[in-house]
Amino acid sequence: MHREKKDRFKFFSLVVTLLLLLALVGVRQAAFSQNATKSPCSDCHVCPWPTAKEPCLKSCTRPEKVQGPISAHPGPDVTILGQLADMYQLVRFNHKLHADMVGMEQGCTVCHHYATSGKYLSCRECHGKKPSNPENLRQPSLKAAYHRQCLSCHREWSHQTRCTLCHLPVPGKTAVTLDSTDIIRPSHPAITPPQTKIFNTPYELGPIVTFHHQEHIDRFGLSCANCHQKENCGNCHDIQKAVRPAKSMEEVHAVCNNCHRQDGCNKCHDTKEKPKFSHAATGWPLNTYHSKLDCRACHPTGKKIARLDSSCKNCHSGWNPGNFKHAVTGLKLDEIHSQLDCVNCHTERNYSQTPNCSDCHADGRSHIDSPPGERLKIK
Amino acid sequence: MGNINRRTFLKFSVIAATLGAAPSAKSQENFSGWPERYGMLTDTTLCIGLNCRKCEEACKKVNNLSRKNLNLSDNSVFEHKRRTDPENYTVVNRFPNPNKPETPYYVKKQCMHCDEPACASACLVKAFKKTPEGPVIYNKDVCIGCRYCMVACPFGIPSYDYFDAYTPQVRKCTMCYDRIQQGKIPACAEICPQEAITFGKRKDLIALARERIRSHPERYHPHIFGEEEAGGTSWLYLTGLDSVQLGFPNALAKTAYPELTRGFLSAVPLVLTIWPVLLVGLYKFSQSRQVKESPESTQNSVEESHAGSNGKPDN
Repeated sequence: MHREKKDRFKFFSLVVTLLLLLALVGVRQAAFSQNATKSPCSDCHVCPWPTAKEPCLKSCTRPEKVQGPISAHPGPDVTILGQLADMYQLVRFNHKLHADMVGMEQGCTVCHHYATSGKYLSCRECHGKKPSNPENLRQPSLKAAYHRQCLSCHREWSHQTRCTLCHLPVPGKTAVTLDSTDIIRPSHPAITPPQTKIFNTPYELGPIVTFHHQEHIDRFGLSCANCHQKENCGNCHDIQKAVRPAKSMEEVHAVCNNCHRQDGCNKCHDTKEKPKFSHAATGWPLNTYHSKLDCRACHPTGKKIARLDSSCKNCHSGWNPGNFKHAVTGLKLDEIHSQLDCVNCHTERNYSQTPNCSDCHADGRSHIDSPPGERLKIK
Repeated sequence: MGNINRRTFLKFSVIAATLGAAPSAKSQENFSGWPERYGMLTDTTLCIGLNCRKCEEACKKVNNLSRKNLNLSDNSVFEHKRRTDPENYTVVNRFPNPNKPETPYYVKKQCMHCDEPACASACLVKAFKKTPEGPVIYNKDVCIGCRYCMVACPFGIPSYDYFDAYTPQVRKCTMCYDRIQQGKIPACAEICPQEAITFGKRKDLIALARERIRSHPERYHPHIFGEEEAGGTSWLYLTGLDSVQLGFPNALAKTAYPELTRGFLSAVPLVLTIWPVLLVGLYKFSQSRQVKESPESTQNSVEESHAGSNGKPDN
């Protein structure tokens, strides 16, 4: 009886141990398989064993936007958008023209919204053919992606949604004929910046604002996108510009205020047109070398432009008469003249003015006929 | 006396039966719609309207409606507000955009496929049915042509086809119920070149709409029209303006319209079953007192009164 009980106990303990072992293995297995399916690798890689050489990266599930370069050069000139064309012919999309223009807005990412640091993906690499795809409702189909992308701008400025804005009609299938006045042309004429723009404003004390456009480009080294931000074709081509709501006071002044916030109204507003800025009017006409410089090369950055100490040493701190080579001015002094002090010829220290030979030489010679050295070509 | 006891038992059993039925009505009240039902999301900021109206064309095609008066390049239709009619289950109307006059809003109008449709509630013969898939469908075979549905609809959608004298019927969008059953998506959602209309599970569409509002707050009015209006509709709208400025009905109730009459209507069966029994019971009670006073007439009066009240043999 006792022995039988012991046997039964042995049997039970064996069964229990086996069961426990099985359970343990099962749990481990479950944990492992769960780990395998939820592996973060599969979020980005398509193959199970990616290597540095072949990372097999997924192309479309990149939730983060990456700001790409603005230059259009790596892209194709023309792409064909026509995987879905039926009623209308393919769209010949002038990629280069668009890429050139988006420099005024936000660059390539205006369209290539999943731009990566590498080669930009074409639209069809992510967008499929199925509308209302239940697996990804937020992603429009390729057809809708094209239409949304193009129409978001073209509709706004041409106020037209005709299919033939982009599509060529299919003869026999499409009833409409192509309108030759359509805005899409093979190339855009070169844009020349205006010299000066005169604005008539409602400001009573100074209704005229003279904006020297070219001067701003030359003097301050500005590029178009420095001032023209968030511009699109509509800003020039909008046929219904008049119906646009009037800009607020702040909006009108916003561009100028980027730099001129500290200046008063009279900086721009006047009762008559303002002349271009002339450095000579400040009492120092700029010579050949100084006129090539940006304002900020002499006037300190971050400060209001003010009158400077006009002595040479103020900027050319290492300069002294001993190490000055007169040849940089285009005149290599001969032996006699190079012995003289500067002020012997440049009386009153006015170095921008050519000295008068008759101050020393009574024979009435001029520096044109008999220069005090060898004339060089200035680069 | 034994008779009266039996009557009391009957009375209580009827009351118990009606009370027993009440919890089932209660549970229906808590039903918040079929969880997997489909819906449509119209993003009015994407619709281009002008020169398009492809949804109207596709709708006519799949529903075999007359395309005689359809001229897609005629943009003068936007000059006045149109409504749905027997030939047009859906129409696109134009509304001015005060913030950007050059891009007005275009709003597609069709049946909203309410979660608890007022038309179905008003219908005497159950010609309207809310399907588990989402669409509210109409059965012309049982329709008696009372047009209560047209009065009941808070969106003014159902229209009546008068033109066929023998088979007049109510016409409205079906949300392409037969196409959904075939695994296709509604025709308007399929044709839309901008995919301004998205078809999907209603709960997914609400999530999608919320995401769009969150990521483009400058583009959208922060409200999903149809999420709660009229107790929730299968057709949802994202708008750039307040819905009233886009021609949607003003001051829509957040509760379902059938809810407004449910209290009253659910009391009707109770009144019909309890009151006669109760009143007869009271009458009998008062009679029985008279019987005590004159015992010889008891048997006759009980039989008479019972036969008069419900016509059943008293046994």
